[in-house]
Amino acid sequence: MSQPNSDPTIYDGLMFVSLGATIVGIVFWILTLNSLGWTGG
Amino acid sequence: MNNVVAKTLIVLQLVFSLCFMCFAGAVYSFQKTWKDKAIASARQVTDLQKNLSDQQLARTDEKTKLEADILAQKNRADLAEGKLSSLATDLSLANTARASAEQERDKHLADLQVAQQEAEARITETNGSRSEIKTLRDQMNDGIAQRRSLEDKLLDQQGRIDEAQQREEQMLKEIGRLRDLCRANRVDPNEPYVGPVPAAIVKVDGVVRQAKKNASRSAELVEISIGSDDQIEKKMKLIVYRGSRFICEIEITDVYPDMSVGRVIEETRNGSIERGDHVTTKL
Repeated sequence: MSQPNSDPTIYDGLMFVSLGATIVGIVFWILTLNSLGWTGG
Repeated sequence: MNNVVAKTLIVLQLVFSLCFMCFAGAVYSFQKTWKDKAIASARQVTDLQKNLSDQQLARTDEKTKLEADILAQKNRADLAEGKLSSLATDLSLANTARASAEQERDKHLADLQVAQQEAEARITETNGSRSEIKTLRDQMNDGIAQRRSLEDKLLDQQGRIDEAQQREEQMLKEIGRLRDLCRANRVDPNEPYVGPVPAAIVKVDGVVRQAKKNASRSAELVEISIGSDDQIEKKMKLIVYRGSRFICEIEITDVYPDMSVGRVIEETRNGSIERGDHVTTKL
């Protein structure tokens, strides 16, 4: 049995930040496709 | 080792996710401008394609027209070449004719010079002949004048001869009559006559042309139609009568060849003298 790692490290924070950035990027991507009518131009 | 890989992957994930976010945001921010530019570009491309097609159509029409013009010009050039060749042939013929004409001209010029020299000689000869003709004409005119003068003289002489012949005939008749008269009176005509011989009066008849008083109205002058040609002489007395009526006697004062003027002898007047009255040398 391994012991649970209870202390988050900087890498956990970085992963959280990257997840947020990915979500924001997806939101921008969806908005862009919506404005373009989902046809790509 | 695994930690290093995991950490690296986490960092890479962070970097890529940030990049994705940035690119997505940038695209969302600028995609509208890009779209407008794309639409404008598409519209411009459409316009350009339309212009291109119009230009191509116009070019095709122009090309067709130019080809037709080229064909027409080619035909025209062919015709012109044909005419040019014909004209070249004509030119060669004309040159040949001109050369022959020049030879003919030179020949004629030579003939002309000869003819001019001959004409000058003829002119000189003609001038000489004209002067000679003028001299001969003057001589002929002089001869004609002399001949006319001689003819006039001859005619005058001939008239005198005829008149003399008539007088001779009258004289011969008169001599014959006088001889007969002498023979009838027993007179020898060859016997010589002693003493003055009165002038014989020949009977001559005439008419009065006019009668006028003189300036002092002391005497009346009468012009009669007989003169010296009719043997009328000055101081001869003539008788004026009208029909069977004696009018007066006149004495001749002036005598001309075909008329005379007489003065009325007032002592013998038996009436007035009028134009047309008869006058005679003896009744």
